[in-house]
Amino acid sequence: MLNSLSKPSNGLSYAVRAVELTKSYGTPAAPVAALRGVTFEVQRGERVALLGKSGSGKSTVLNLLGGLDRPTSGSLNVAGNDLAHLSGKHLARFRSTTVGMIFQSFNLIPSRTAFENVELPMIFSGYAPRQRQIEAQSALEAVGLGNRMRHRPAQLSGGENQRVAVARSLVNRPEIILADEPTGNLDSATAREVMDLILNHVQTHGATLILVTHDEELASTYTNRVIRMKDGQIQTEPF
Amino acid sequence: MRFTDLLKLPLVALWQQKVRTLLTTLGVVFGSFVLAASLSIGQGVQDTIERMSHRSDFLRKIRVGPAWGDSKTEEKAEQIEIKGEMQEDKRDRIRKATLQSKQRFATDRMRIKLTREKLQELAALPHVESVVPVIWQYGTALIDGQAQAVDIGSGRPVDVDCQRRLVAGRLFESSSETAALVSEFLLYRLGLTDDDAVKSVVGRTLRLEFRPQHHEPGFSLSLRKSDDTDVTREELAVLDKIRAQLPTAVTKLDLNPADLQTLQKAIHGVARPTSGPFHADFKIVGVLRLRNEEEQKEPWDPLRVETEVVLPFETATDLYFRVPGQNKQGIGQAIVIVDDEQNAKEVFKKIAETGLSTDALLEYIERERLMYLMIFGGMTCVAAVALLVAALGIANTMLMSVLERTREIGIMKAVGAGNGHLQFIFLAEGALIGISGGVCGLLLAWGASFPGDAWVRTIVTRDLKIDLEGSIFAFPPWLIFVVVSFAVLVTTLAAVFPARRAARIDPVRALRHE
Repeated sequence: MLNSLSKPSNGLSYAVRAVELTKSYGTPAAPVAALRGVTFEVQRGERVALLGKSGSGKSTVLNLLGGLDRPTSGSLNVAGNDLAHLSGKHLARFRSTTVGMIFQSFNLIPSRTAFENVELPMIFSGYAPRQRQIEAQSALEAVGLGNRMRHRPAQLSGGENQRVAVARSLVNRPEIILADEPTGNLDSATAREVMDLILNHVQTHGATLILVTHDEELASTYTNRVIRMKDGQIQTEPF
Repeated sequence: MRFTDLLKLPLVALWQQKVRTLLTTLGVVFGSFVLAASLSIGQGVQDTIERMSHRSDFLRKIRVGPAWGDSKTEEKAEQIEIKGEMQEDKRDRIRKATLQSKQRFATDRMRIKLTREKLQELAALPHVESVVPVIWQYGTALIDGQAQAVDIGSGRPVDVDCQRRLVAGRLFESSSETAALVSEFLLYRLGLTDDDAVKSVVGRTLRLEFRPQHHEPGFSLSLRKSDDTDVTREELAVLDKIRAQLPTAVTKLDLNPADLQTLQKAIHGVARPTSGPFHADFKIVGVLRLRNEEEQKEPWDPLRVETEVVLPFETATDLYFRVPGQNKQGIGQAIVIVDDEQNAKEVFKKIAETGLSTDALLEYIERERLMYLMIFGGMTCVAAVALLVAALGIANTMLMSVLERTREIGIMKAVGAGNGHLQFIFLAEGALIGISGGVCGLLLAWGASFPGDAWVRTIVTRDLKIDLEGSIFAFPPWLIFVVVSFAVLVTTLAAVFPARRAARIDPVRALRHE
């Protein structure tokens, strides 16, 4: 498996390379293993689905890829960043500029308007207000919410909220989009709209998409490769 | 991340929790208010004391007087024999009481007197600019044969108070001039009532007359009818004659032999007046008007002239020691004027070492200062505690806020907020509460200082008859800095723990948090 990994890699051709990733929770005396040695690679511009039942470890993988968590062991390289060894400050920077995350429960800040939510990653990456205004506005227009920028999440529908979250994840033009069950809380029509938006962006900007889902159909429609997970391990040889 | 954005985030967070922010800030406002008020009044009172004491040369003056005590009768209690059969503790009490009563009737109780030599000694001390004897004598004033009993005092050639009250003539040319200033009231009593007569008195001669003073115990026998007039010069002369004749004349009184023997035993050995009244002449150089009501309210000054006849102080001292019977007594008090306020303490100590009684405003002021320092120091401590209590409230509220905002913090981390950013946001929330509370408290104290000052001023003017100069509240730049920075420091420190909690939040868990 390692042989197959080393062949095509030149440091630029892959977006993600995970080797023997493990992740344990709980105390060192009684660890609960969430990942038990996961190895896979995702090429730049590839659209990959992580498919599995709940508790299979797919969300854990996504959190590791998004820099929200660190692996217990193994190595993880995302867009040229060695996430296992990145400092806290650089990890924060990585989260705001390199990856864009979309969650099932939207994760918008209720007190901020749609515009302000979309603007947030740009604030942390140090953009000037004028530029933030232009970028956030165009991101919201791109998801069809140009006229609802001043609305707060509570004033928007679920589909609209997820579109705000999509706009937020895209506003910094990340190389990799990480979507964790993005349609889980939406009806099928809205789900399709949202997925089309994501797909459109990924294709336009040549970004990489990693989609966590338990929906086989969604996976086959919107991605070109599926990695199946079960009990913290990859079931199917991904290469 | 840009600094303005970093400041905007805590501001927005505070704005979203308006009521909570207001309540926590109010705690800081009140704490800062008390802190600012107590520091301000503490400083202001010190400044006011300083200003008031610099108004004149109060602080350079030391009042010196003779030391009173049991000089010649330095008998020890043990030497007194107490007769009778009694318990020892009673004997002890009787013995002490006997000693005390002996001392009370002792003729010469002044231990250290302000004699001419003593005055010279004082003048020779280092840092002493001058020694001004304060002379007060009782005598009779005569102009053109008219006589009135008067108080005679001493004055200095340069005297603002006398200058102001001078209605005719001039002040003294030197402290040893054979000259006198007289009051318009004395002239009125002497029959010089018209304004022209008052003016024409300048240049004329004033005679001062003194009866020899004897300081022996004696019988006081009063037969004079009691009305509100002073004893006249003639009456005094007759009394002196009687006094001279009485020891021999007692035999002519209708007394039985036993009474006569008792009387003779009592007056035996008492010195008889050997000479007639002593007198001296002075040229009247000026007339002083009486003090008006406003002038009467002025702060007390030991050198202020209060008598109806004023002599230059050296002339007055000379006269005092020339009057028979007075030379041994020494004068009542003298004012030592020190060259600089800085040296007043040292000179004060030196004079006190000589055993003379000393008294200086400096001492009172130092004591007052210490007292105020303690009061306001205490108030400041209470204020600081109030601020600390407010800070505990802030810490508590912010911890709650961190818990409530766990998910929000997780989201912020997910979209790129670093631990440092979050820590800064919460510390800045604390600092903002501190700065706004501190500034508001300070403004409140400043606002309250106006009615406060007016109130204190009314009381001081009414009760102490002193017009205060300037406000008793002071807001120097250091005070503004100390109050605001203390408030900011305390509230920021209160935010340290909540801020660290916020920074440590695990984003994965936070995003699962409902």
